[in-house]
Amino acid sequence: MTIKRSLFGVIHGISALLVAFFLFTGMAYAAHPDVSDSEDAIQAGQSLFNANCRTCHRLDQNYTGPALRGVTERRSLDWAKRFIVNSQALIQAGDAEAVALFREYNNIVMPSHDFLSDDDVMNLLAYIEYGDTAEASAGAAGAEGTAEGAAGGIPSEYLTIILVVLVFVLLLILVVLGLIVSVLKKYLSQDQDLDQDDKEFIDQKTDIKKVFTSDAFIIIITTIVVALVVKTALDGLYNVGIQQGYAPKQPIAYSHQLHAGEYEIPCQYCHTGVEIGKSANIPSANICMNCHMHIQNVDGKEGISPEIAKLYDAYDNNKPIEWVRIHNLPDLAYFNHSQHVAVAGLDCQTCHGPIEEMEVVYQHSSLTMGWCIDCHRNTEITTQGNEYYDKLVQLHSESKDALKVKDIGGLECAKCHY
Amino acid sequence: MKLKLSTYIVATFGAAFGLASCSASGDFPGLEYAPQMYHSVAYEPLTQITDEDEGSWLSSREDGKGEFYNSNPNNPHGMNMREPAPNTVPRNNRGLLPYRKSVADLEGAAGVENPIELNDEVMSQGQQLYIQYCATCHGSQGEGDGKAGEVIGGVANLKGGAYIDLPEGHIFHVITHGKGRMGAHASQISIERRWKIVHYVKQEIQKQ
Repeated sequence: MTIKRSLFGVIHGISALLVAFFLFTGMAYAAHPDVSDSEDAIQAGQSLFNANCRTCHRLDQNYTGPALRGVTERRSLDWAKRFIVNSQALIQAGDAEAVALFREYNNIVMPSHDFLSDDDVMNLLAYIEYGDTAEASAGAAGAEGTAEGAAGGIPSEYLTIILVVLVFVLLLILVVLGLIVSVLKKYLSQDQDLDQDDKEFIDQKTDIKKVFTSDAFIIIITTIVVALVVKTALDGLYNVGIQQGYAPKQPIAYSHQLHAGEYEIPCQYCHTGVEIGKSANIPSANICMNCHMHIQNVDGKEGISPEIAKLYDAYDNNKPIEWVRIHNLPDLAYFNHSQHVAVAGLDCQTCHGPIEEMEVVYQHSSLTMGWCIDCHRNTEITTQGNEYYDKLVQLHSESKDALKVKDIGGLECAKCHY
Repeated sequence: MKLKLSTYIVATFGAAFGLASCSASGDFPGLEYAPQMYHSVAYEPLTQITDEDEGSWLSSREDGKGEFYNSNPNNPHGMNMREPAPNTVPRNNRGLLPYRKSVADLEGAAGVENPIELNDEVMSQGQQLYIQYCATCHGSQGEGDGKAGEVIGGVANLKGGAYIDLPEGHIFHVITHGKGRMGAHASQISIERRWKIVHYVKQEIQKQ
């Protein structure tokens, strides 16, 4: 075992060395001799790269723009410098290479960098050619890290496993006890010197029929059944008119878990009405297209995902996407989002639950009147920056509870029903 | 006697399970109590019932359609929302007129001045708006490292040399119409809010 492992280690080490050697030698021949490989130049170039290039370029992969390493080998040094400083000037001058590159990358305009001095550009090229050879592998390691992190939260599965094991253990104990009883019985029945009482005790058989017909049994079972039936009936009655848990299938399988959870897009980016109007608003397709103009699939897969294709279809043909409304407050009650979000400063999750974890959105709260009133009774109002309430707040702090929503009309019928 | 008892039992069980199936789950919104008080007679935002027969079992409508039919037959797609009539000009209570510089007129936009007076309140609102509408791509510090931005790629580093000296009007113009890989955000962010974001970007993110 240990020999095998050390052997493997040696081979691994050698292969790593070989890879590093090839990488290094490959680079050494690639770059233009004028490009410095000094540590200072690379360092200076790195900070310039991070500030100005990193959002579109990677050293070793094509991204929004092409991979940059080896640029001084592929092109002339002068061309590379001119392209970096002002690519549009080069393209408009009709430089064939520049125009071809511009076309290849979907006519994306690279901003001019005429604020960079000649030294700056040379430092930048030093970083591009010699900097960060570990970048690619670091990226891969990062991806692995997040995958592991995502797999961490599965306690509910463990719970089921624990329960199953427990039930199994209990059954096992039952079987063992049964075995012990029968063994003891056999042993005692061989013994002849027993009293009459003891013999009866040993030979007694549980008469199942008698148990089932006994009064106690019937009463217990009837009570349990009646209690269960009554509970289901009452629960059912309380659920009439409540849509808690409603999770309809939407025309596009949009995942809040991905958008709001993983990518942390704030709710207001799409639900633009939430601070300024009664409704939070469902975004129109043009808001989706702000990102999906460029993102056509999830997890970096190739091609267009079938769900995103539905979005493109709606956008190209000017068709509205008919999302199914989930939170249907009865017509008899008035609710206004801006009052709760902009004025009271509530988080969306207070009423809508853990939206950022929902693959399919469901109605989290009951939205009953009791639920509204409960919150109005317990919530202190935010009065910062609003002098209108200063005296009320002061009075409340002196005499009784803090100023709650209920104290400024939060329980008035006509606040919501009119 | 026995028959009576079993009838009772069956009835109780039936009622219990019948009621248990009233609660909402999946595509079923649950049983409604007094549905006429739940469904709006007037057009409601973000919802419409296009089926003319829905609720016909309790309909008292004069046109003979179902009680819950709620859809505008005169508008495209039966929607309530319509685009404003052409050549109309929206004005808000501060008298701000719509921004009319064309997409290509970046140079003209550079000269436009920020009509919102800069103060602490505007700055904190600008910060909040920046987090809501910009940070997803441009990152909370403006370095182009927002989580969605990493996927889209090509997001401007607002602190980068190519962007740090841009005039306020240019930033406003780009938020309004988009530029490069960035989409137009005029439909999401009102003019006033856009100028507040511009203040925050200029004063805080691009502070030099």
